[in-house]
Amino acid sequence: MKLTGPLERVLRVMLADPSAPHYGYDLMKAAKLKSGTLYPMLARLQQDGLVNAEWEAPRQDAAGRPPRKYYQLTAEGLRVARLELAQAASSAPARRAGHGAAWPAPGSTR
Amino acid sequence: MSPAPRAQRIAGWLIRAVCRRLPADVRAERCREWTAELPAIFDDQSIRPAFLRTLRALSFCVGISWTTRQLSRSARAASRRTRNAQWRTGAMRTRPPNLAVRAVRGLLIWLVVVAVVLGLIALLHTRGLPPSLPVMLVLALAVGFDGFCLADIARAAQVRYLHKWAWVVICLVQAPLGGIMYLSIGHIGRDPSRRGN
Repeated sequence: MKLTGPLERVLRVMLADPSAPHYGYDLMKAAKLKSGTLYPMLARLQQDGLVNAEWEAPRQDAAGRPPRKYYQLTAEGLRVARLELAQAASSAPARRAGHGAAWPAPGSTR
Repeated sequence: MSPAPRAQRIAGWLIRAVCRRLPADVRAERCREWTAELPAIFDDQSIRPAFLRTLRALSFCVGISWTTRQLSRSARAASRRTRNAQWRTGAMRTRPPNLAVRAVRGLLIWLVVVAVVLGLIALLHTRGLPPSLPVMLVLALAVGFDGFCLADIARAAQVRYLHKWAWVVICLVQAPLGGIMYLSIGHIGRDPSRRGN
């Protein structure tokens, strides 16, 4: 799995509360992604078995709202997401150091 | 009628329209999933004023259109990989032709048709028949062929690459090349495994 910026944001949102299922628009808002980026990504994650999708059961208080599809990280997804984010976090200082001349660290004065 | 439900209906219609390009096995579920997101967008009170919610929903539909394009492309690639693997292992007797092969085959058929028609016209001209006869003959053949292609599109449960209406327009505007290209590229032949049933 190649960890891109949008994927990292989605994984961070899902890892914030791994037990909480998220529907598409919820993830779009939280990860600040467009639907054209999010859904193909979710489809790939689902295909790789990292994300599980389940339909919401029809509720009486839903006021006619159609049932939504909720996404949640699987156990394998949880493991891979934590590993990838940890690797990204450990390589981030190295990346910053590599680009230090062009991209100063946030808050630094030059 | 309040503007939000009408906009929601339009957005739902747009999503259903773009979902048509998805493979049949996932189409209904994806369509249901994405249309179920629309109430959340239209009820999102963090987006103000209200017309921005409509714009957000339209932007959502544009993204869904992009998503369907990507999903159908990856499904086609997966199916092509499966068919090629079947061909390699001998499970399939004829290699599935790709788009370029089908397009070249269609253009070759078109050239043969042009050559035959021109030859026919020249032959009839040398026999001293009235000049309107070859033209009428060609027109009748073109109309008949187009009629056959249109009937085939109407009967087909699914066509390739374009929407059915797009193939209808191509057949009508570019007769008979449009029809030949439809049969070469857009037409989905019978499943060979069902032949003879």
